[in-house]
Amino acid sequence: MRPRLRHHFLHPKLTLVARIALGLVFIAAALPKIADPPDFAKAIWAYELFPAWSLHPLALVLPWLELLCGLALCLGIWIRAAAAWVAVMLLSFGLALSINLARHHPVDCGCFGAAAPKTEAQRLADMRWVLLRDVGLLLLAAQVLLASASANSPRLDPTAENKKS
Amino acid sequence: MMHTRRSTTLRVLALAGMAGAAALLSNILASPARRLAWAGSGAPLPSGAPQTETRVPPGPPPQPPPLQPPKEAPPHRPALHSVPRAATPPPPAPPKAQEATAFSPIREISGQEAWAAFQSGVSFLDARRSSEFAEGHIAGAWCAPIWESDVDDRLISFKAARRPGSEDPIVIYCSGGDCRDSHLLASKLLNEGYFNLLIYRDGFPDWAAQGHPVEKGQP
Repeated sequence: MRPRLRHHFLHPKLTLVARIALGLVFIAAALPKIADPPDFAKAIWAYELFPAWSLHPLALVLPWLELLCGLALCLGIWIRAAAAWVAVMLLSFGLALSINLARHHPVDCGCFGAAAPKTEAQRLADMRWVLLRDVGLLLLAAQVLLASASANSPRLDPTAENKKS
Repeated sequence: MMHTRRSTTLRVLALAGMAGAAALLSNILASPARRLAWAGSGAPLPSGAPQTETRVPPGPPPQPPPLQPPKEAPPHRPALHSVPRAATPPPPAPPKAQEATAFSPIREISGQEAWAAFQSGVSFLDARRSSEFAEGHIAGAWCAPIWESDVDDRLISFKAARRPGSEDPIVIYCSGGDCRDSHLLASKLLNEGYFNLLIYRDGFPDWAAQGHPVEKGQP
């Protein structure tokens, strides 16, 4: 990345906005699922990607992981670890949606709890939008991860370079 | 740098561990309707299509469902006194294969058939969530929410109260449309040895729209 572009992309204010936005989205997504795990298990089951034994553990643990990562990002604690989990989760969600889109199997996203009944065409259209939203959120997660990496990197730390010279 | 990477890895693991512990605790504290069994999921394996019209149950061949009048005459058997000729080719296999697959232990029924079953006193099972059951259900139906942890206990009390035989018809319904909870419950009951499971295709919304008897209240 060019230095000027890098300077803008990794600006501390942008990082702050990105991690708080990401954190709030994940907290909002986690709460309805924590409130009703059977509903989330049913949503995961509808994806037809996971074996039966994994449905309940996933439905129980994933919302708490989302909540903890969301809280960590909002509060500025363990940012790198939380952003790493968020990126992994977003990649997994995107992959699950893509597979179902590719095989023309409409599913409710289940991202923010139960949704109103929809037609197959509405579901497929929603899946495309959700995929697009996941890509946007993934960009935010990448920004937070890169910013935290550059903050920890001694090469980019001017004080460290001064000390060397 | 190495230290930072190691501490990040530890924090990643710590977040997963805390999520697991929080999930464990919240699941213990949750009400039965919101609880999930960690292992031994009540939900059968995901499948592409509902398992109707295709499966033949293990064990003794069940009787045809009593609700459906026979559409075809029973297969003609040759009279005992008729002597088969030696040159006659063996009877074709298809009729036998057709006989084996004609009966399905899980069958979808229409609203009219469901109403006929209701009038003849057939047991109804509601596969939807218990909260939906409380908002309104078919009069006299039993609550058996397939996605809730206490579905097995509810089925045990249903069996204890109604004592359904393995060949007695049981009507199962959910919300109609693309709702597959009734199919999941039917698969579960099939595995428990019930061979005459009738899935009310259009479910509770159709029942209510037809103005048939409805009840409200907790299961």
